[in-house]
Amino acid sequence: MKYLLKYSLLSALLVGGASCTNLDEEIKDSYTKKFDPANQGVGLTEGGPSDGLNGAFNTLLNGTANHGSYFSAQEISSDEAVITQKGGDWNDGGIWLIMHKHQFTPTVGGINGAWNDSYGGIFQCNDLLGQTSTSVAGKAQLRVLRAYYYWRLLDMFGRVKIVTVKGVDAPQATRIEVYNFVESELKAALPDLTSGKAEYGRVSQGAVNALLARLYVNAKVYKGLAAHDPADLNNAIAAADAVINSGVYSLDPDYSKVFKWNNTGNPEHIFVVPFDAKTAQGMNFAQMTLHYPSQLTYKLAQQPWNGYSTMEEFYNSYDAADKRKAANFIVGPQFSLGTTTPILDLAFDKGDEDGAPVNYTPKINMLAPNGSRQAGARLGKFAFKTGQTPNMDNDFPLLRYGEVLLNKAEALARKNGFGDGTAKTLVDQIRSRAGLGSIGTLSEGAMLAERGRELFQESLRRTDLIRFGAWGNAWWEKGTHPADKFILFPIPSEQIAAATGEKLTQNDDYK
Amino acid sequence: MTKLYLFVRRYLTVLIVCSSFAAFAQQAVSGKITSSDDGSGIPGVNVLEKGTTNGTVSDADGSYTINVGSGATLVFSFVGYTSQEATVGSQTSLNVTLQSDVTSLSEVVVVGYGSQDKKELTSSVVTVSTKDFNKGNINDPSQLLQGKVAGLSIYNRGGDPNTATIIRLRGLSTVGANSQPLIVVDGIIGASLDNVDPNDIESTTVLKDGSGAAIYGSRASSGVILVTTKSGSNKSGSISVDFNSQIAVSSILNRQPIMTAGQYIAAGGNDLGDKTDWQDLVTRTGSTKVQNLGISGGNENTTFRISANLRNVEGILKKSGFDQINTRARLTHKALDGKLRFDISTSFTNRNTDVSFNEALRYAVLFNPTAPVKFANGDYYQAILFDNFNPVAIIDQNVSERKRKTLNFGGQVSYDILKNLSINLNVGQQYESFNGYEYYSRNSLFRGFNRGGLARRGGAESSFSLFELYGKYSANLGQVNLDLTGGYSYQQEQTDGLFVALGNFPSDELGYNALQTSGDILSGDPSLVQVSSFKTPINKIIAFFGRVNLSYDNAIFLNASVRSEGSTKLGINNRTGIFPAVGLAVDLNKYLQLAKVDGLKLRAGWGITGSLPNETGISKEQFNYAFAGGGAVTIGRAANPDLKWEQKQEINVGVDFRFARRFEASVDYYTRDIKDFILLNDKLDLAVFPTNSRFENLGSVRTSGIEMKLDYSDIQIGQVKWTPGIVLSRYSSTLESYLPGVLAQARAPLGAPGQSGVNQIRIAVGEEIGQIWGPVFDGANADGSARFKDLNGDGAIKVTDQAFLDPTSDFQKLGSGIPSVEFGFSNKLTYKNWDLNVFFRGALGHSLSNNFRAFYEPIDLGAINSYNRITTSKAVAGLTESKFSSLYVEKADFLKLDNMSIGYNVKLASTSKVKNVRIYAAGQNIFVLTSYSGIDPEPVLVDQGAADNGGFLPGPDPLSPGIDRRNAYFTSRTFTFGISVGF
Repeated sequence: MKYLLKYSLLSALLVGGASCTNLDEEIKDSYTKKFDPANQGVGLTEGGPSDGLNGAFNTLLNGTANHGSYFSAQEISSDEAVITQKGGDWNDGGIWLIMHKHQFTPTVGGINGAWNDSYGGIFQCNDLLGQTSTSVAGKAQLRVLRAYYYWRLLDMFGRVKIVTVKGVDAPQATRIEVYNFVESELKAALPDLTSGKAEYGRVSQGAVNALLARLYVNAKVYKGLAAHDPADLNNAIAAADAVINSGVYSLDPDYSKVFKWNNTGNPEHIFVVPFDAKTAQGMNFAQMTLHYPSQLTYKLAQQPWNGYSTMEEFYNSYDAADKRKAANFIVGPQFSLGTTTPILDLAFDKGDEDGAPVNYTPKINMLAPNGSRQAGARLGKFAFKTGQTPNMDNDFPLLRYGEVLLNKAEALARKNGFGDGTAKTLVDQIRSRAGLGSIGTLSEGAMLAERGRELFQESLRRTDLIRFGAWGNAWWEKGTHPADKFILFPIPSEQIAAATGEKLTQNDDYK
Repeated sequence: MTKLYLFVRRYLTVLIVCSSFAAFAQQAVSGKITSSDDGSGIPGVNVLEKGTTNGTVSDADGSYTINVGSGATLVFSFVGYTSQEATVGSQTSLNVTLQSDVTSLSEVVVVGYGSQDKKELTSSVVTVSTKDFNKGNINDPSQLLQGKVAGLSIYNRGGDPNTATIIRLRGLSTVGANSQPLIVVDGIIGASLDNVDPNDIESTTVLKDGSGAAIYGSRASSGVILVTTKSGSNKSGSISVDFNSQIAVSSILNRQPIMTAGQYIAAGGNDLGDKTDWQDLVTRTGSTKVQNLGISGGNENTTFRISANLRNVEGILKKSGFDQINTRARLTHKALDGKLRFDISTSFTNRNTDVSFNEALRYAVLFNPTAPVKFANGDYYQAILFDNFNPVAIIDQNVSERKRKTLNFGGQVSYDILKNLSINLNVGQQYESFNGYEYYSRNSLFRGFNRGGLARRGGAESSFSLFELYGKYSANLGQVNLDLTGGYSYQQEQTDGLFVALGNFPSDELGYNALQTSGDILSGDPSLVQVSSFKTPINKIIAFFGRVNLSYDNAIFLNASVRSEGSTKLGINNRTGIFPAVGLAVDLNKYLQLAKVDGLKLRAGWGITGSLPNETGISKEQFNYAFAGGGAVTIGRAANPDLKWEQKQEINVGVDFRFARRFEASVDYYTRDIKDFILLNDKLDLAVFPTNSRFENLGSVRTSGIEMKLDYSDIQIGQVKWTPGIVLSRYSSTLESYLPGVLAQARAPLGAPGQSGVNQIRIAVGEEIGQIWGPVFDGANADGSARFKDLNGDGAIKVTDQAFLDPTSDFQKLGSGIPSVEFGFSNKLTYKNWDLNVFFRGALGHSLSNNFRAFYEPIDLGAINSYNRITTSKAVAGLTESKFSSLYVEKADFLKLDNMSIGYNVKLASTSKVKNVRIYAAGQNIFVLTSYSGIDPEPVLVDQGAADNGGFLPGPDPLSPGIDRRNAYFTSRTFTFGISVGF
């Protein structure tokens, strides 16, 4: 018996060959180790560095200009954009209504996506930073990118883990610790970066200084101070001046060009996410904002989603002569491309006086439950290209010269009072480009409004409203609350559950 | 079915001949037939005049009367008794006592790597053979068993001919890995059930518990189904032919109740001037045509059977259906005085499917009933809206087809080295190819619009090889019988495939046939030009196994087995698993000798089985390449070198009872602990892991259940014989643990429009699986919004979607997606040449979340212009807000007359060359008793998720049962007519 079994097994081995006992899994269709792609730069039509850092910088494509992450959380919680519930459409369990009304919960829409996207980026930075092959200049790039992500986390969640080594957990830090980390990282990276214009999609000394200026202007909020610390304001002015005096950047005389699909290399760009319809996908603004039949106006490859619009009050904050009004919004009757044939919503609401022809009116009848499908000025700042797929070509400026000027103006005004002459000049510089006259008397309110008009759709409004103490104001369907309440989002409950090593605790307003 | 025909033919012929020729008989004989056990009369005994076809059967008392010729000999036969002959002579009264024959009751049952006498079984094993199969329009082998095996849930809701049937044994055996049972065809593991025509199946055996299935190790957790195909006969030496032809006609049983054009306008909908019955326009009377031809024969040493099966199915949804040809050949041969045995088979299936578009059924429900089919200019009417497509246009403008080819080869060779020692070799191969072809026209708003047409083509090929070598040894040591089995098993499998999607075609004329004319090729845009391919690793499973079957005193039986098995799919540290099992059975009646009791057996078994995921490469670190920024390789998923088998440990105790030869009962109770599910943990801490997901062994489920099978054979009512049978089962599963840090989870969101964040299912550690969860409806407010109950009485009604899992919120269990009882009630009746099968099937205790109602029942003035409304008696007047609640969760208890067939066996002269002719008719889904207002009350065990606006369905979710989505195929009622001829 034994002999026979042995014999049988032996023959089995012969038939099966060497594979008979070998259980190694040989993966055939996905990579099991890291390598440098042999065809670096493939598909790049607008240039770009071959510095091996794409793995980290590509992470910015997630969440910056699509739905359900950083952009959504920053915009919908502010007074410049809204997602109304249109009958059954876009209720989504009320998450966007809650976001509008500031009734934040740890499961509210967008914040978990923002958290995931930020840490996803940080992981890739840490991965490349840990590799000996990464150059000194490369490491500086990565530290700035990582600091940028930590700035997002600092701004949104405050108390987060500062992870600096791939795969090594860290305790939850205080908000000030995160602030200090961002500041020190930016400063440390500065000397190893170019003082000129950065390569496409990368950072320069200008980017570091622009981000520092933003950080310092917000220092009062981030540090939890009662008043602005003049030292922070001086730092902000100095950082902004470093950008201004570098001579590398300037305002584009045409505001709309800064955001158009062919905006690559715009003189105003300091740090951009180089979106590309083909190779760098992730900007979906047309889908997010346009009504379904607008597919006919822009010959879109896919039906848009009819989600985002701006609020009437915000739209009306633009002067009729303001060139930015036409650049930033899509309003009025809509037509099929190249014709005067109106596009139709054949299931129009009976209460809609426009009937079936689609007319984007700034006025919106209600937030919920039956927001008109055609109402609301649409978000058009990043202009749409005819025939585009859901992925747009426009580069998204994370830092741009216009904001630096306004940050400097604000720091001066807060330091010296809103009567500061230089501050007014800087603001007027922005207004003049928009075809407007002087702002006249500068005030905190006028400054906030001007920033709103200029920086619309750039994910900065929430941060501005908090800093200007306007976060608790009522707007549209949102009621008032104390200005210092909810200045941090709740830590997403999924993240608290996932943090099985170093634990995460919830922010104070949500305990 | 041959056996049944033969039996019925013989039996009925006897009757006919008897009555026809009675006038020529010369002598009347009567008497009583009694049992040797207790002297009671035995009804239903066959009484045959030897050498003739003259015969009768005994009545309820066991009495009989027959006219016979002079010098006749009568043959008395009945199942469970030794046949007896008696010479009539000159007697007019002839009483007979039949001796019970225990051995004739024995039945050989196929088990893993062999067969066993039924009485020796220690585990829960059920065999269903031809005579008990479901009848009628059956195109999928699993449907033969639907409702016939306690604990085996088989559901194909709506009877969509193109949707795979869900088969579940004893509830959920896995939440991540493959949940379909392991199929073994004629001893060859892993063959596809799709390559077996229902008409070629002789019997099907289900190994239900862990102790019986453990010999199959890592693929056995979801149960093992052993299929035995028909083979030739070695008795006659002649060749017989069986031909069967049938046609079935299907009509819609249930439609969604929706507003007519008039009701719609009255309710506030936009009147577009027409009246269109969309549900009518996208459906039709379905039909199925089946032809089966089998030729078989053999002699003492060789048997063969060759068959060909043609099936043409047209579903009730326009365009849907398939054409299939299947052929099978099986040859057995004995050589060297029977010491060397071969069993070789091969089968091939080619199936061409027109998938059509189930979405058309959805949009037929919700499209505006006043809209015309076409605009005046001939274009299809379309309102360009979210999730809104002209259903007629979907079907007319587009195509979706599939082709599948499956080829199997199986060979078994066994050789008796000694009288009690044999060696066996199993070799199996399977090749399968799938191809999908879709084209969406340039004018089709559904998927093709503004793409300038869209073609999608994909194909995959897979191959599977099996090599097994095992020995069997048996010994008789006095009162102890010993059987040993031991061997080696090697399985390997690999799949590769290609997918292409392109648009912007110059014309629709060439459809998907000329991808080179796609304008998208010039764009260089990967979101327009979709090309992908894959090839799995060679997935191997290597095992050694052994088993001991021991019997003592022919009454105490012990089976013990162990399988040690390794798989390439698992982490390097945990590739090999051990799957042991032990079972014990005692034939108590051997010692108790209870009156009239023919068998009383107690069984207990314990066994461990495993489950493997479908995915490959899941234990390894994965790197992704992306084009962005000129190309980069980044870590996509973390490795898990500790990934191991999913494991199920099962204890089964059962009792088999047989009384008075006619009544049989089996009861089984089991508990199963399933742990280490292979799940994608997407809740990893991003501070540590590169992505938030990797595959891990997580979670555990405990299931316990009870199953019962009751049969009573041959109740005689006049000349009618009635054989009823009942199967009953119930189980419940509790989630014992889940993802780390996750105590409860919200699942199964309703989807768009507007309820993307609204969940319907709660799973929670320590709670039952299958809870439909939500707020309790308390009426409509004056403004039309829904009012909910304050369940915890805290004065605040907290029903936001974010509060779904919040213990302070006002949500509760609204129903269970899993039935508490599933049952089948079969009845076989015979009368003269007629036979009748009536099969009821039902399930109790489950609920369904009626998603159609949850979206479209409230008359919402903001949405009525986009979507027609559902109208059921459950609608609440004045409610305008569509928000999921208890209002839409309905009890779905049902009783179906699932299957009824009637057959007539034509009287044939005994000299006829035609051996049998049978004409039959069958009906399926003849009636359904239920209070459920949706299309079909059958349980939905797996949630297919929501797909909106022409999107494609997400993956199935087994943890969210009970969701009746908006993509349901309409249920049909089917009538079948057929004829079988044997010669």
